[in-house]
Amino acid sequence: MQNALAIILQTVPDNTMQSVVNTDNASIWHHMSDALHESFYRVLTLLIAILPGILAFFVALTIFALIGMAVSAVLRRILSLAKFDSYLTRIRATADWAPTTPPSEIIARASFWAFVLLGLIIGVSAFEASYATAAVLPISLMPYLTHAVGAIFLLIAGTLIARFLARSVLIGAVNAHLQYARFLSLGVKWLVLVLTAAMVLDHLEVGGVVVELAFGILFGGIVLTLSLAIGLGSRDLVSRSLERNVDRTGEHAVPPANYPAPIPDDSLRHF
Amino acid sequence: MATADSISDIPAPSTPRDPGLLVFLADTPPEQLEQLIANLTSSYPAESLIIATADAVPPHSWPNLRIVPVPATPPSWMLTPAHFMKAYQLASENDARAILVLGPGAASLRPSALAELANPVIAAATDLAIPCYDLPRHAGLFNSAILYPLTRALFPSRARYPLAIDLGLSLRMAERLALAAQRSTTFNQGDALLWPTSEAAVAGFAVNEFSVGRREIPQPAENDINAILASVTGSLFADIEAKAAFWQRPRQFPPPRYPAPQLPATDPAPDIGSMFNAFQLAFANLQEIWSLVLPPNALLGLKRLSAANAASFRMNDALWSRIVFDFLLAYRLRTINRGHLLGALIPLYRAWVASHFNITASGTDPERHIEAAAATFEAEKPYLLSRWRWPDRFNP
Repeated sequence: MQNALAIILQTVPDNTMQSVVNTDNASIWHHMSDALHESFYRVLTLLIAILPGILAFFVALTIFALIGMAVSAVLRRILSLAKFDSYLTRIRATADWAPTTPPSEIIARASFWAFVLLGLIIGVSAFEASYATAAVLPISLMPYLTHAVGAIFLLIAGTLIARFLARSVLIGAVNAHLQYARFLSLGVKWLVLVLTAAMVLDHLEVGGVVVELAFGILFGGIVLTLSLAIGLGSRDLVSRSLERNVDRTGEHAVPPANYPAPIPDDSLRHF
Repeated sequence: MATADSISDIPAPSTPRDPGLLVFLADTPPEQLEQLIANLTSSYPAESLIIATADAVPPHSWPNLRIVPVPATPPSWMLTPAHFMKAYQLASENDARAILVLGPGAASLRPSALAELANPVIAAATDLAIPCYDLPRHAGLFNSAILYPLTRALFPSRARYPLAIDLGLSLRMAERLALAAQRSTTFNQGDALLWPTSEAAVAGFAVNEFSVGRREIPQPAENDINAILASVTGSLFADIEAKAAFWQRPRQFPPPRYPAPQLPATDPAPDIGSMFNAFQLAFANLQEIWSLVLPPNALLGLKRLSAANAASFRMNDALWSRIVFDFLLAYRLRTINRGHLLGALIPLYRAWVASHFNITASGTDPERHIEAAAATFEAEKPYLLSRWRWPDRFNP
């Protein structure tokens, strides 16, 4: 068989072989070029189809951001003229709720971001309408785009709440003289962060059941760890509490005479 | 001819009652009421008194005494805005010349103490008569650590108990307090505290302090003392913030007090060790929060304190005064959430208490140490002024 193939190859003239190879190369280049041209054309068509949508998105966002800036500046000016901050301080309306920035600044910023959010929503709607008419974008991208705004807000809110709760727990635990105050604070922080992450992924519709399962395992793990830590670490606290109850009912042993019992910290009279 | 006795036919002109003093009894327990009225009537004729109380007084005991019923309010360990509003309203309706407001447990005050508080306001010699109590050494600590020195440094008054619960008020002082109370209740802050000393100072009214001896000071009923400490500090800080335009101006202060040395302590020594351990725990955990509020100098001071041992634990008065001023400034600037800020101050206050007991255990009279601390607050006032005016520029 090998000999027969060798004979055939030897009988074919060299110039014929050369022309077949050249013809094949030209054909491949031609096909590749056609394919590339078609791809390029499709990309260009797609870009042209979604370009109005992208343009509408950015125009809506820019216009609403500009309107937001104007409204924010006007509000800031009006509240400053009305001495809004001084008024709130005078009536102590913000005594319990204490933001870092003055209330008038918060209102101005909130109005600006409200307009930006409105611009985002309208921009995404315009983009969606343009996309529907074009109908060439992969449909799987659209939910991510529309849910991304909500997910970002969820993430910011979750992070802020986690930090607030972690500090609250830390200060409360330190004032209660709990030795594991930092651990407790970290546990609460990660509990909220894990919850936030799960909510964000769920909002983005990423992961599906895997996220729910992972969240359940992580959340349960953190709660169990905290419960064990509190249970093991607060033995002293519980025994002190029980001792106090016994003291109140008069069941405690009478201390020996001439022994100056130290005043516990919680028996000091602060007022 | 029978003559009628013309004189007997003419009705005798009724002697005008000059009530003079309205005594407002805030949340006095019924079992103490008779004792308290007996103390009052031993100093003043019953005709000159109007007693405003929510409880019924047996009429046979004091037939000449005028009792004005007051609607019962929720029990409180402090004088609330409702008390001040009601007291002024009753004084106006009954043409009283002065008001004596007595808080819960006032029956423990001796009769002469009641007269000490009431006489100057009846004689219009003062607008606010504020008591100075003799308290045991482990009582009134929060007042000694923060309320008294801060009020003394910022307002030209040396009232030892700015949050006293027994007050003698002139009518105009009562009106001012009622207006302040009205403002707070309008905005649903009926449980807010009023600071009579600073109100009087801002109004330019005469304030005088009178020694009234021992008194049972009611303590808050709630179990969470930390929340109450934070709430009282927050109220004082808010009041100071609202009156910043007043206390920033330089003023002449009254002459310093020379406290009488306290009687030797008979109560057992406090447990310094647990307080010191609590401070070390707080230092290990709250540095991140403290570093947002305190300058590096103060943090260094706290670090040195945490490295000391319980027996030699002493918090410098200058360090303590600057810590309080820095927290006041952070409250104003809203550096962190105010609830967190006030919560983070409590371990430092407890550290001051431990240091105070250590100092007094070494033989220093407690009252002298408190006076020295308050004098340091006065001396450090320029530090607060600088940071208040230029918080970013002046940060040692």
